[in-house]
Amino acid sequence: MASKWISRLDERTGIVGVYKTVFDRKIPKVNWWFTLGSASLFLFSVQVVTGILLSVYYVPSPDHAYDSVQYIMTGVQFGWLIRGIHHWAASLMVLVVFLHMLRVFFYGAYKYPREITWVTGVVLLLATLGMGFTGYLLPWNQKAYWATTVGTSIAGTVPGIGDFILRALRGGTDLSAVTLTRFFAAHVWMLPLVILTVIGIHLYLVIRNGISAVPKDHE
Amino acid sequence: MSELETDQTLQINVTRKRSPGTTAMNEEEKREYQEKYRLAKLHGEKFFPDTIYKDVLISFALFLLLIGLATFIGVAPEPKADPSDTSYIPRPEWYFLFLFELLKFFPGSLEWVGTAVLPGLAVALLFLLPFIDRNPKRHWKNRRFAAGLMSAIVIGMVALTIRAVVTTPPQAEATVAGTLAEQIVAGQDLYAVHCVECHGADGEGGKIQGVQGLEGVTLKPINSQDEMYTRSDETLYAVIELGQQTLGMPPFGRAYSGELSPGDIESIVAFMRYTWDDRAEMPKAAEQASTLPVLKPGETPDYATHIEPVVKRYCVSCHRPGKENNNYLMRTYDEVMNSGDHKPNIVPGNLQSNLIRMLRREEIEAGGPMPPSKPLKPELIEMIERWVIAGAPEKASGPATK
Ligand code: HEM
Repeated sequence: MASKWISRLDERTGIVGVYKTVFDRKIPKVNWWFTLGSASLFLFSVQVVTGILLSVYYVPSPDHAYDSVQYIMTGVQFGWLIRGIHHWAASLMVLVVFLHMLRVFFYGAYKYPREITWVTGVVLLLATLGMGFTGYLLPWNQKAYWATTVGTSIAGTVPGIGDFILRALRGGTDLSAVTLTRFFAAHVWMLPLVILTVIGIHLYLVIRNGISAVPKDHE
Repeated sequence: MSELETDQTLQINVTRKRSPGTTAMNEEEKREYQEKYRLAKLHGEKFFPDTIYKDVLISFALFLLLIGLATFIGVAPEPKADPSDTSYIPRPEWYFLFLFELLKFFPGSLEWVGTAVLPGLAVALLFLLPFIDRNPKRHWKNRRFAAGLMSAIVIGMVALTIRAVVTTPPQAEATVAGTLAEQIVAGQDLYAVHCVECHGADGEGGKIQGVQGLEGVTLKPINSQDEMYTRSDETLYAVIELGQQTLGMPPFGRAYSGELSPGDIESIVAFMRYTWDDRAEMPKAAEQASTLPVLKPGETPDYATHIEPVVKRYCVSCHRPGKENNNYLMRTYDEVMNSGDHKPNIVPGNLQSNLIRMLRREEIEAGGPMPPSKPLKPELIEMIERWVIAGAPEKASGPATK
């Protein structure tokens, strides 16, 4: 019965082929270090879900950002849990993505034919750090304000284009409401879309080239 | 040998001559790699379920870890952003600390080396790694240089991070009102310190006494329905932050050389709103914390439980440093007992103590009636008297320790 429905669905969608390529494939025997990539993916999904929930109450303006976060912590059912998870998963994701990169590096898994997988991975690492940097400002508390003041002024010391970068990040010479909305836009739209797209390419390449085998002593 | 095979052999021979292995993998090596990889897969496992089961297990463990971290550690409360507070020590997220620390090695005109050149170089190298590192070997033992360099970098990053944590001085502890009730109670304390000397303990106003520069000025009440219905929170905030200079009220916002942070001012506004505005309902928790203790018949009053809340609300506003008070400070038990030009103002067991006489609105050598503008409620005076008679104890058990 079920198989009849599946075959009907497959006739129209090719779903069985997709399943076979993604799940029903042979890969070399791998160890626990190989779970770091999927752990990165999992943490990103956690961030997407909790982030969307936070955006229901969060208001990106200097007048209301702090209070809206305060409200999430004390007024919203399980708001503290959602924010707590988002907060910790952010740190954990940076750590796990970095460890995943180290795994790939020490196993030489960035070599032929997986060079492009590595390049997309570097984009993901930078975008993840960008998420951390832009997200840090959003609660508009002391830590956020001063860390971002220093962070953006560091960007301002780049020779030649520093001043331009500084103004582009801050939307003016000082940290202001414009900075907050800019960081918000980057944090909830631009960077997530980059990450989502590049994860797609990354995973396509991982499946296409297959997971590398653990290198042997002589390899 | 078929035509195709000859063709391939030929090709392999050609490429082998061109690149002897030190540069990019040649075609033969690539083919060799793919063949080995095919065998590895053959002896390998099924992605579903063999591999994915490990992935799911790790993700689930991470999920539990996250719930644990969110529940038992949570997110540290922080005061609201205050652009005027330049004493705040900036602290980036921990994973940027190593960069922050790295910059310290490039002071002054070399700064751009640390901010632009090194990070730029690192990112470029990271992107180009697969094209720069053309060693076909994969096991780290056969890639001593690459593995050693990366290990050194990672150890360096960890060391810099530790150094940053160790060398940054701890932030001055700031209390953050989390809930509305906490905010109201914090606001009440701040109101008592900063506002009471002019506006009265309950915002009743009246004639100002004992305040430099404003002596004898009469203030209208700020706790009236009129006042509360026509002033929004934003207006109250602005009045406190900026003051009303033509009327004599100084600015209190730190940005205008006052003493209050934005969070402090918000707390005071919340206290005013929830205490005096009959449309706002005081949260239960705040109500309990803000009502003055009542003495039960036969109970012995002590400083911590009964007297301190009264002192805080009615006296500290003037009896703190920088005010005209004959150096009688009342911020702690010790100050209440032992400070002042006419000390001791409290003699345990003696109702002729300066403090009691002044509360009873006598004019004595130490000064006039206290509080100057309006007497304390009789039951509060009685409570203080009973405390003095009982030996002015600090805590619930035992008499005063002088
Ligand atoms: C959001 C971040 C990332 C996600 C979600 C992600 C996800 C994944 C997943 C699921 C795999 C499968 C194999 C494994 O889990 O080890 C993988 C493999 C791979 N990743 Fe990532 N990755 C991320 C970041 C990176 C970074 C930062 C790099 C390197 C700079 C990188 C380079 C690679 C390479 C080269 C492979 C192939 C490894 C092999 O075949 O053994 N990835 N990635």
